[in-house]
Amino acid sequence: MAQYEKILLKNMEQPGYSGSLKEYEQAGGYQALKKVLKDFSPDAVIDAVKKSGLRGRGGAGFPTGVKWGFIPKDHPGPKYLCCNADESEPGTFKDRQLMERDPHQMLEGMVITCFAIGAETAYIYIRGEFRLGAQILWRALDEAKAAGYVGENLLGSGKTINIYVHQGAGAYICGEETALLESLEGKRGMPRFKPPFPATHGLYQKPTVVNNVETMANIPHIINNGAEWFASIGSPPKSTGTRVFCLSGHVKRPGNYEVPMGIPFREFIYDLGGGMRSDKPLKGFIPGGASAPFLKPEHLDVKMDFESVALAGSMLGSGGVTVMEEGTSMVWAALRLMEFFYHESCGKCTPCREGSSWLVQTLQRIWQKKGRQGDIELLEELCGNIAGRTVCAFGEAEVGPVLSTIKHWRHEYEALIQEAQVALPPNKELPVFSH
Amino acid sequence: MATTQETKPDLVTLTIDGKSARVPKGTLVIEAARQVGVMVPHFCYHPKLTPDANCRMCLVEIEKMPRLQTSCSTPVAEGMVVKSAKSDQVEAARKSVLDFILANHPLDCPVCDQGGRCDLQDFSHEYTATKSQFQELKRVFQKEYFSPLIETQMNRCVQCLRCVRYCDQVMDVKALAPVGRGTLTEIKAFGTHELDCEFCGGCVQICPVGAITSRMSMYEFRPWMLKRADSICGYCGDGCQITYQTKNNSLIEVSSTHGSGRNNGDLCARGYFGYHVSEHPERIQTPLIRQGETFQPAIWEEALEQVGQTLLAIKQQHGPDAIAGLITGRCTNEDLYVFQKFMRGVVGTNQIDSSVRYGHLNGVRALQRVQGTHRWTVSFDDIVEADVLLLVGTNVTETNPITGLKIKEAVKRKGAKLITIEALQPAVGTISNIVNLAHHHFGVRADGFQGAVLALMKSVLETRGMAEDVKASATAYGNDLMAQLSGLAWSRLENRTGYSLSDYGHAASTFCQGKKVVILVGQDVLRASGGYGMTMNLLDLLLLTGKLSNPGCGVAPLAEENNDQGAFEMGAVSDVLPGGFSIDHAESRTAVSKHWGRSIPDSSGGALPQFLERMQSGAIKALLVVGENPLGSLPPVSGIEQALEGLQLLVCQELFMTETARKAHVVLPVCSSAEKEGTFTNTEGHVQAVRKAVEPVGDGRPDWEIFSALSIIMGDSMEYGDVKEIGKEIRNVLPGIRPLGPTPIPSKPDAMVVCGYVGGEYRRDLDSRYRLIDEQPDFSDELLVSLRQSLFHSGKFSLKADGLLKVESEGKLYVHPDEAARRNIGEGDQVDLCNDRGTIRAKVGLRERIPMGMAVFPEHFDQEMRGLLSYAVDPETQVPYYKLAQARIVKV
Ligand SMILES: Cc1cc2nc3c(=O)[nH]c(=O)nc-3n(C[C@H](O)[C@H](O)[C@H](O)COP(=O)(O)O)c2cc1C
Ligand code: SF4
Ligand code: SF4
Ligand code: SF4
Ligand code: FES
Repeated sequence: MAQYEKILLKNMEQPGYSGSLKEYEQAGGYQALKKVLKDFSPDAVIDAVKKSGLRGRGGAGFPTGVKWGFIPKDHPGPKYLCCNADESEPGTFKDRQLMERDPHQMLEGMVITCFAIGAETAYIYIRGEFRLGAQILWRALDEAKAAGYVGENLLGSGKTINIYVHQGAGAYICGEETALLESLEGKRGMPRFKPPFPATHGLYQKPTVVNNVETMANIPHIINNGAEWFASIGSPPKSTGTRVFCLSGHVKRPGNYEVPMGIPFREFIYDLGGGMRSDKPLKGFIPGGASAPFLKPEHLDVKMDFESVALAGSMLGSGGVTVMEEGTSMVWAALRLMEFFYHESCGKCTPCREGSSWLVQTLQRIWQKKGRQGDIELLEELCGNIAGRTVCAFGEAEVGPVLSTIKHWRHEYEALIQEAQVALPPNKELPVFSH
Repeated sequence: MATTQETKPDLVTLTIDGKSARVPKGTLVIEAARQVGVMVPHFCYHPKLTPDANCRMCLVEIEKMPRLQTSCSTPVAEGMVVKSAKSDQVEAARKSVLDFILANHPLDCPVCDQGGRCDLQDFSHEYTATKSQFQELKRVFQKEYFSPLIETQMNRCVQCLRCVRYCDQVMDVKALAPVGRGTLTEIKAFGTHELDCEFCGGCVQICPVGAITSRMSMYEFRPWMLKRADSICGYCGDGCQITYQTKNNSLIEVSSTHGSGRNNGDLCARGYFGYHVSEHPERIQTPLIRQGETFQPAIWEEALEQVGQTLLAIKQQHGPDAIAGLITGRCTNEDLYVFQKFMRGVVGTNQIDSSVRYGHLNGVRALQRVQGTHRWTVSFDDIVEADVLLLVGTNVTETNPITGLKIKEAVKRKGAKLITIEALQPAVGTISNIVNLAHHHFGVRADGFQGAVLALMKSVLETRGMAEDVKASATAYGNDLMAQLSGLAWSRLENRTGYSLSDYGHAASTFCQGKKVVILVGQDVLRASGGYGMTMNLLDLLLLTGKLSNPGCGVAPLAEENNDQGAFEMGAVSDVLPGGFSIDHAESRTAVSKHWGRSIPDSSGGALPQFLERMQSGAIKALLVVGENPLGSLPPVSGIEQALEGLQLLVCQELFMTETARKAHVVLPVCSSAEKEGTFTNTEGHVQAVRKAVEPVGDGRPDWEIFSALSIIMGDSMEYGDVKEIGKEIRNVLPGIRPLGPTPIPSKPDAMVVCGYVGGEYRRDLDSRYRLIDEQPDFSDELLVSLRQSLFHSGKFSLKADGLLKVESEGKLYVHPDEAARRNIGEGDQVDLCNDRGTIRAKVGLRERIPMGMAVFPEHFDQEMRGLLSYAVDPETQVPYYKLAQARIVKV
C-alpha cells in the first residue's frame, strides 16, 4: 500500500501531540507567520497562494488566491475574514479533526490570510454542536494572544489582527457563506442572493473572505515550503495539494485520510479504507458529501480530483466519501438524504422550500409502496424545477441524490412502484406525510 | 453637420421583449420592464423594500447569462437583452414556481378577504395550468391568536417576507419574524407574546395574498363590492392620502396606495384602524336644544332659528364683541373660511380662535416673523433628501408618524445624519423610537430643550463661526447673537443639560457639514413655555450658518391636527386674516373686505386666553364652539368652567356629546370628514382634497352650511351652493390656496422680511429668547409629568375609534423602569400623583425610553390629570401652556 506524506494531519499523528502552542511551535509552527511579516507584502502572499493552485476545501473548490484577489485594495473601511467551521454536510468530518487536534495550524493560516487581504478582524463560525472544538479554539486563541501571534501589535509588527469564535445554532444552511454572514450579523441564517458577492459586500456589507477550515490550514505550509512545492503535489495543474477525505459507510476502516488529490477511489476505499465491511460488493458511493450525486462501481477508477469527478457527473465537494454495499436500497438512500435536505431547507426561496417537501413526500410514498405511475417522471420534473432556480446552491445539492439514484438505479424505483400498483386498490390513496 | 448625440453617462439602454428602454444606471430590470409596459409577475419584490429575490416568480431570460435571472435583483446593463413574456423557458419557470406555491396553498379563496385582489389568484389565472400535479397532503398550520387588530392565516402565506421587511426597513419596528424552517416557516410576532407593535397596517397592505388581514373588516366584504373614495386622513397634520372603502353607505376599510399621497402609501394606526369614529353609535343624530337639565331633539329650522335670533339679540344689546367663536383645526379649509367670514362679516367681531392657538401658532408666527412666509420652506421630499436632520422635541413617531417615516428613510436608506434633542432615551420597545437612529442624541427632560438648543447653537458658532455673508451684510445681527451666546457659560449649559462641551462639539461639526439641513420642531417645544422663542432661535441658527435661504433647508414646525395649518391660513385666528395677514394690516383688511363686500372690524379681538377672561367677567355672552372641546382639554386652573357657566348662549357644532357640548344651550350635529367635501392643508402647507365617502349620519350637516344658514337668519345672507363655490371664493381672495397636484412647491423666504429681521427687528425680544430660563428648584423626589400624544390616539376624538381602543383604552403613567424601581413601583401598580393643585390616581406603565425624572401620560385620557397642570400664557403669541405638571408620586 502506498504511503503518502501528510501535511495537515502530520503533527496530530505524532504520538502524544495535543495541539498546544508549545508543541505546534516545536513542530515548526508560526514560522510561516514570522516569515510573512518579515519578507512578504500582502500581494506577495496572494500571489503565492494563487501560484500554489490551492482551491477551497469547503465544497465549491474556488481558487483561494483568486478569491482573495477580489478584495478591493483601496477600500476605506474594515474588511473581514470568516473561517467557515460550520461543517454540517452529512459524511464530512475533517474540519472537526483539524480544529480539535491542531488548532494553531488553522489559526496561523487565518492570521496570514488577514495579513494578505488587509483584515484586522476575523471570525470563526463554528458549528453549534462542536462545543469541544470551540473550547479548544478559545484556549488556543488565548495562547496565541499571549504569545503575540494574534491581537494587537502582532509580533511587534504594529499590525492588529483579532480572531473571534462564534458558535452557530444548529442550521446546516449557515455553512453557506452568505447565510453564515447573516447569522454572524445576528440575523436569521438565510442566504443572500448574489451578486453582490462577499468579496465586495460581505459581513456588514464590507469586503469579506469566507474560507473553509482546511483551506486555512494549508496556508502556513504553502508559505513555508513554497507555492511550487504545493503545486507539485496531487494532480496539477487544477487539483493541487492533499485533501483530508472522510470515509464513511459500509467500509472496514471509516475515518479521515489525507492523501494527495488524484488517487483513484478504488485505492482510497479498498487500500486505505480496507474495503467493504461485510465483503458484499460495493453498490454505489457518494464522492463528496451529501450534495454530490452518487457514483457507481464503474467509477472506482475515477481520480479523486476536481476535474475527474466532475467529468464522471458528480463533484468532489466537501471530501466526504460515503460507501454503500450491495443490498442497500437506493430509493431508501435517496429518501434518507432528502429527509435531511427537507429538514434543512431554510425556506427562503420557493422552489427549494416547496420542492424539498414535495420531493420528500413523493419519495416516502414510493418507499412505502404507495407510489404511482408517473412518480419517477414527477421527481425528475420537480428536480428540474428546483435546480438553477434557487437563491443558493442548496437547490442543486438537494436534487443530486434523487436524480443520480434515478439515473443509476431506475429499476429500483420502478419495482417499488410496481409493487404498489399491485398492493393498492385503484383510486384509494392514503395520506403518508406528517410532521 | 456633426451631431453629437450625447448619451448621458448615467443612462443605460436595453431591450425587453423587443422593446427598447432607456433607464438610469442602477435601475432594476423589473422596473425597467414596467416602464416599457412589460409586467413581470412578482411576490417578494416591492419598490419600497430592498430586493430579497426569494419568491423566484420574476425570473427572466437575459442573453449571455447562463441561467434565468431574478429581474427584481438584477440591475440593468448597457445592451442587455431581456426576455420575459416571450420566452418558453421563462413561462415554464413561472408555471413551476406557481405550482410550488399552490402545492401548499389552501385555496380557500371563497372565504379569503384578499380574494379578488390577490396577486396569487391573478398570476395563477394567468400562468398556471388548471390541474396541479401535487397529490400529497397540504401543510397545515395551527391557527393561533395573533393580535386584536391583525389576523394571520399562515396557510395562505407565500413566505415572501414583504411584511417582515416592511416592518423592519420602513417602520423600524421589527415586530415580525419568520419562525421555523422550510415549508414550516411561518410569520409570527417577534418574541413569545402576541403582536404588540405600531399597528400601522403596513404588513396587511403589503402582503400580496390573504395571509395577513385586518380583523376590523374580516369577512365583511368582497373587494369588488366596495366603493372607493380617495380622501385625506382626518387625524394628524401629516395629511395622508387614504382611500375609504365602503359598502352600502358603511365604512368597511381604509387603504392607501404606494406612489400616491404625501404618505406614499404608508399609514399609521390612526389612519388605518381609526376610521370607525365616523360610525360610532354615539354620534349626535339631530339638533338638540337644552330644556333645563336635559336636551330635546329638534329640527334644524328650530335650532338654527334659536341660535340666530339669540345671536342677533346679543349683538344688538351688547355689541358684536359680546360674541366669540372657537373652531377646531380638524375642519376643512372651507368650513374654517366660512366660519371666520361669518364671525367677522356677519357677527362683526374678530373674537375668534382655533386649535392652532394650542401650539402650532408658535411655529407659524416664528416662521412668518423671520422669513415672511408662514409655511415650511421644505417639503417631506426635502426631509428624505436632507443630509442633516435636527429634531427638537418632536416625539415624532407618536405625533407625526409619517414625518417620522420620512426621517427614517433619510437616515436608514439615504445616510442622512440625525441629531435629536428629545425627551426620550434610546431604547428598544414595541414601537419605534426615533432617537435609536440618532448619530448625536441629547436626551433632556421636557423642560430642558432650551438649554440643549442654546448649547448646540453656541457650539456651532464658536467652532465654525458664522457664515461669511452674515458677517458681511448683517454684522450687527451676527455680533449681537454671538454676544448673547458668548454670555452663556459652558459650565451652566453642561450642568443644565447633562451633556458636555465635546458632545455638543461633535453634533455641531455634523450640523455644519450639512448642505441640506432640515430642523423639525415638535409639540414638546411648541406647546410648552418658551416654545416660540426656541423656534425663533432655531431660525437664527439657520440664518447664522447661511442656510436659511438654501434650497432643501428650513425650520419645520410640525402641525398636530390635520388642518392646523389651514386654520391659520384661512384666518380662523383673532388677529390673522385669510392668507395669514395681520389684522392690523389695513391694506389686507381692505382687500379682503372688498372681496366680501362687508367690512372687517379692526380691533384685534383677543385670543382664546382673553376670551376666557372676558367670558368670566361677563363681557362675552355667547360662544360658538365648532368641533372644539375647551372644557375637555383646558385645565381647571384656566378658569374654563366658570367661563362657560356665565354664558347666555353656548352653541356646539359637534359629532359627539363632549364635556363642552353637555353644557351647551344648543348642539348642532355635523358631518365627519368621511361625510363631506373640501380641503385640508397639511403640515407642509400642501392643500389636498377631502372627498365624501358616505352619507352623513342622522341629520348631520357640514359646518359651513350651518354658518351660511345662520347668516340668512341674521339677515346678512352669505349663501353658497356647494363647497366648490367656497373654494372658488377662497382662490379669489388667496390665489395660492388650492390643491396643487401631488407634490407641494415649498415657499421661499421673503428676502425683504429676512432683511428687516436681521436689520433690527430681531432685537425686540432678543434678550428674553437667549436668556437661559431659570433653573427649577431641585425636586429630586418629584416627577415632571408631561401630557403627550400617543401613537394610537389623536385628541379626544379617536377615543371613539373602536380599532384604536383595542390597542390603547386607558391612560397609564409611563416612567422609566429604574425610576419606578427606585420608588418600589412596578408595572400596573396604582400610584397617587400629588401637588398643590390636587391628587389623582393613576396606573403605572414602564417604558425604557422615558428619561429619569420624568413621566409621560397620554393626553387623551387626561380628564383627571388636568387637575394637576400648571397654566401660563405666552406673552408674545398668547399660546396657553398646560401640558406639564410637577408632582410627587406615592405608591398606594
Ligand atoms: C448549502 C451549503 C452548505 C455549505 N456548508 C459548508 C460548510 O459547512 N463548510 C464549508 O466550509 N463550506 C460550506 N459551504 C460552502 C461555502 O458556501 C463556501 O463556498 C466555502 O465556505 C468557501 O470556502 P472555501 O473557498 O475555502 O471552500 C456550503 C455551501 C452550501 C451551498
Ligand atoms: S435554495 Fe433552499 S436553502 Fe438555499 S436559499 Fe433557497 S430555500 Fe434556502
Ligand atoms: S402593523 Fe405592526 S407588525 Fe405590521 S408592519 Fe406595522 S408595525 Fe409592523
Ligand atoms: S404574510 Fe404575506 S407578506 Fe408576509 S411573508 Fe407571508 S405572504 Fe409574504
Ligand atoms: S420578485 Fe424577484 S424573486 Fe421575488
